[in-house]
Amino acid sequence: MTGLAATKRWVERGVGLAALVLVALGPAVFNDYWADAILTQTFIVGIAAASLIFLSAYGGMISLAQTAMMGAAGFILGNMVTQSAPGGETKGLTLGWDPTLAIVLALLGTTLLGLVFGAIASRSTGIYFLMITLTYSVIGFYFVGQVTNVSGFSGISGINSYTPGFVGDMVNDRYRLYYIALGVAIVVYVLIRYVVRTPFGLALQGVRDEPVRMSSLGYAVPLHRTLAFGFAAFLASLSGVLLVWWQGQIAPGDIGLQATIDLLIVAVIGGLGRVEGAWLGALAFIVINNYIRDSWLTELLDDVRIGGSFNTIIGLVFLAIVIVSPDGLIGLWDRLWGLATGSRDPDRPAMAPSPAGQQS
Amino acid sequence: MLVGFALLYVVVIAEPTPEVGGNWRTTNFGSLFDDWRSFTRTLLNGLTFAGLLFIVASGFSLIFGLMRVVNMAHGSFYLLGGYIAYEVQQEMTGQGFTILSAEVTTWEWIFPALVAAATIAVVGLVVQQVFLRWNQGQELRQALITIAISVIVADQVIAHFNEGIASTITWPGWTDRLVELPLLGIDYSLTRLVVLFLGVLVAAALWAWLYRTRTGMVIRAGVDDRQMTSALGVNIQRTFALAFVVGSALAAFGGVVGASQGAVAAGQDGQWLLNSLVVVIIGGMGSLLGAAAGSLLYGLVFSFSAVYLPTTGGNCCTQYSIVFTFILLALVLAFRPQGLFGRAA
Amino acid sequence: MSRLNRRWKLALPALGVLAIAVFAAASTSLAASAREVRVAIMTDCKGAFGFGYEPDIGGAQAAFAQFAGGKPKNPKKPSAGMTGIKVGNTSVRIVGYGCGDDTVPTAIKETRRLMEQLRADVMIGPLSGDEAVSVANYAKTHPTKTFVIGTAGSQDPTLQIAPKNVFRYHGDGAQWNAGTGEIAYKRLGWRNAAIIMDDYSFGWTSAAGLIADFCAIGGKITKRVFPPLNTTDYASYIQQLPPPDQVDGYFWVVGGTGTAASLKAFEQAFGALKPSQHIGNLFFAFLGADKVVAPKVVGSYVGGFGTGPGLKTKQAKAYEAVVAKHYPGLNGGNYADGFVYNYYNAAWAFVRGLQASGGQLGARLQASMPRTNKSGYEVSDGGLVRLDANRQAVQDQYPLQVVKNADGSIGTAVVGYVPNVNQSFGGLFKKTSPAPGRTQPPCVKKKLPWQGKIKVVKNGVITNQTIR
Repeated sequence: MTGLAATKRWVERGVGLAALVLVALGPAVFNDYWADAILTQTFIVGIAAASLIFLSAYGGMISLAQTAMMGAAGFILGNMVTQSAPGGETKGLTLGWDPTLAIVLALLGTTLLGLVFGAIASRSTGIYFLMITLTYSVIGFYFVGQVTNVSGFSGISGINSYTPGFVGDMVNDRYRLYYIALGVAIVVYVLIRYVVRTPFGLALQGVRDEPVRMSSLGYAVPLHRTLAFGFAAFLASLSGVLLVWWQGQIAPGDIGLQATIDLLIVAVIGGLGRVEGAWLGALAFIVINNYIRDSWLTELLDDVRIGGSFNTIIGLVFLAIVIVSPDGLIGLWDRLWGLATGSRDPDRPAMAPSPAGQQS
Repeated sequence: MLVGFALLYVVVIAEPTPEVGGNWRTTNFGSLFDDWRSFTRTLLNGLTFAGLLFIVASGFSLIFGLMRVVNMAHGSFYLLGGYIAYEVQQEMTGQGFTILSAEVTTWEWIFPALVAAATIAVVGLVVQQVFLRWNQGQELRQALITIAISVIVADQVIAHFNEGIASTITWPGWTDRLVELPLLGIDYSLTRLVVLFLGVLVAAALWAWLYRTRTGMVIRAGVDDRQMTSALGVNIQRTFALAFVVGSALAAFGGVVGASQGAVAAGQDGQWLLNSLVVVIIGGMGSLLGAAAGSLLYGLVFSFSAVYLPTTGGNCCTQYSIVFTFILLALVLAFRPQGLFGRAA
Repeated sequence: MSRLNRRWKLALPALGVLAIAVFAAASTSLAASAREVRVAIMTDCKGAFGFGYEPDIGGAQAAFAQFAGGKPKNPKKPSAGMTGIKVGNTSVRIVGYGCGDDTVPTAIKETRRLMEQLRADVMIGPLSGDEAVSVANYAKTHPTKTFVIGTAGSQDPTLQIAPKNVFRYHGDGAQWNAGTGEIAYKRLGWRNAAIIMDDYSFGWTSAAGLIADFCAIGGKITKRVFPPLNTTDYASYIQQLPPPDQVDGYFWVVGGTGTAASLKAFEQAFGALKPSQHIGNLFFAFLGADKVVAPKVVGSYVGGFGTGPGLKTKQAKAYEAVVAKHYPGLNGGNYADGFVYNYYNAAWAFVRGLQASGGQLGARLQASMPRTNKSGYEVSDGGLVRLDANRQAVQDQYPLQVVKNADGSIGTAVVGYVPNVNQSFGGLFKKTSPAPGRTQPPCVKKKLPWQGKIKVVKNGVITNQTIR
């Protein structure tokens, strides 16, 4: 380990700690909207993005099914906890079960679903894997869009009124969710860091880099991929539960193509190589979406006679990020550090390993 | 077994809807034996829809097969193609209104279609040369770049093409009638048969190109082994560009046919990207035969499931028709993850 | 390198967060400026209703210009903004425009951005039914904010959910179709009809109006078909409709790309369309359909949009003149579109409410929101629209017919005047009834308040004849 790399670690650690302290102070530092909407949303979306980055960085699989998994947990929870009110005020199955049981079932159900989907997709790699998982996401979307018994078409609402006692009141005490989401995000981060150091995690990375060799060493390659997918589905289901508490409702649009692509964008902006990138990407994406429309950039469009709304700008910004820094903001930081110190980071992970690309 | 049951159900078990009540066997029309005319119509509906699916999806498959680029802007090309042809047709005959088919000649349909296909071919070429040429092999990055392009196109369409409102292109007048099909003894729409014909025409042209010309040979060789092909001294870059041009033009042409058959509107880009994806996943990526098989299966499942699901009680079960497409997908993925005619990755 | 150390690699997020903290601090200090009422206008700028963006904002701001002294920054582009709005001594600032895409998640995110980040006190909007449902649910948990719905056809926001801080000064999707069924029964002699509807909440609600009205007078619905929204190929759904010789007619509630696509599929299955056999909801003549669909169905009757295009009353002309004055050419000069008209009335009602509350917000404003308003196309009760106990409009409705104008262009003409249409359809829809769905409402014969009272409208003039 060179001295420079160690310095970089210290810088990163310092900044990370400062960020943690800052968000831990939370509402005392940020105004209501920042705490309640932007940061809470960042934590939640970040968890889902982390599940995507986990699969990509350690399993070599780019999954577009994470939004669907998130939504699955949300829909299971929504259908189970809500109670029917006169006139069908909230839609769906309105089973009215115990919230604690419902949460457990939502997490379990989604993980199971992930294992099944993972098993089917486990024999594919690279861009094929991406397309198959995109298909999952589409299946999920059309299923809830069409089978209105479980989705009420326009979604299930009022879910956040039914929370277990140990979680507390979500509707009137918004900062509760802020800290819960923050806590879950930290747990997810630590959990991922832990899992990749277990024998399973190490084998998974072996499978990522050398599937053929691992297979001949006696490792069950598809099994490792399946388990990784199931674990990622579990992480996504956590974010799904938080999402319905945050939104109060879940609708087919939550798992539509747009939402699926948005999550991929978040992960890519952050950087697919390191888990930290998930929350960084989520923050950047949410801030861009919230603030760019009121900026001078939008007026520029009219000035140069291109026309269009701020959506064009968002597309252009995204295009620029993908072109300039394919490994996202984290990658940009790595590169800037390298430029500034004239060193190469020894353990910079390779971006998005793609077996199909290597073969061709 | 599932497939067998589905066939059996459609052919024998299903019963026509009675006046009241009904059970799991009652459907809209009953089985092949109860009402073979409706059965034939449903079959034809599926086949003709497959024609349109094939036109769009074959372009997607071509680009993917050769270059391993998942062109997420394929739906955007479809959308742009439809709108460009709409504007051109309006320019030729219109008054800002939908034109009645009696007022449209064959040329007034073909010319807009050609303009649209040619324009999008150029757009595709530019996208490939500017954004995709220098990062070959980085599949994810290329997919992301095309996603960014599709975001921009979606917004620009609303800004510049009829505000993104649903718009339709009009088929030439002579197609707009029902013809009696010999042997079958039913009336069927000539327009839909034209769509099927166009699909077959595109398939035949692609086949002739891929299997009977030198360029086609290079492309097939490229699909099989890219490095080997370029090592043999073939200018693979030119082949890539050509494939992208043809694939984009097919998306645009599909957009024209789709907008003539129904309507084109903002938001359809995603829908058609997904349609292409489903077809290609079923059939196998990068295979012409696969795209054809995928289109047929998708088209038939789509049209039969909507008609032949039980109609018990009015609130069931036709809304589940979409699920059958996924059962098809799941079956294919489970038993042949590379698709029916795809090669293992 | 120890494992422990690596755990602290949360590093980078921090950089961003620091930057943001500065941002947040800056926006907080901005907020401390002079007291003013903050208003947000929520509409769509993407998706199926993306074209509604400027017409909606223009409609609302025309009312601010007329009744509160607002100055458009750019009369050609309403979204450029408006300055100088003052109600009594209170100045009103439009803090932002919401950009939905006809989906629930975006509606929630945009609502939060407007109400929490930009700290709006009042929302004029949203656009479209599902968005209104989610906004109504949001409103329930934010009682100090006030919501005046822009244009939305769903029933739930003011019937099943009905929070005290949600107001709607226009009809829902079912109300818009009042009278249309009776016209089919009396004018066209329909007794048995089939209906094809988009399989989602607006489709069901709009169809509910047609079914309730047609069945109330004695018609029968023999078949209901539900294609999924924006189906790619309608052939298999059209095939499920009974052929033209087995029913008297068809009601169409298919929108978006589906309107043209499903009609084409019908022609492809059964031959040319016979206009007297088809009645559409507003999808036949509004939301861009006037150019796409209407030419195919000249002569067909069409349900309304709560407006009376071409109605020659003083009040209607005055309304159109006001919009034309502030935003000439808005919505292609079609001011009788529900998008423009409903947003206009929503903003106008809010201005009057704020006047009455003396600039107070929250419960005071909600109590002061007007219970009646002199809206452009109202005729009954001296030209007043009334709110019912759920803060939902009781509104006059105008069934239309697609006509060919003298210059060859296609347009619509008002054919009937249906006075005082309420949300309940004579008790058919109530808080405890299920929201409209595939089989809701059932087809029942019953007495409706406006039954037999529909007046003939000729050349934009309401006559004394009732439709028979």
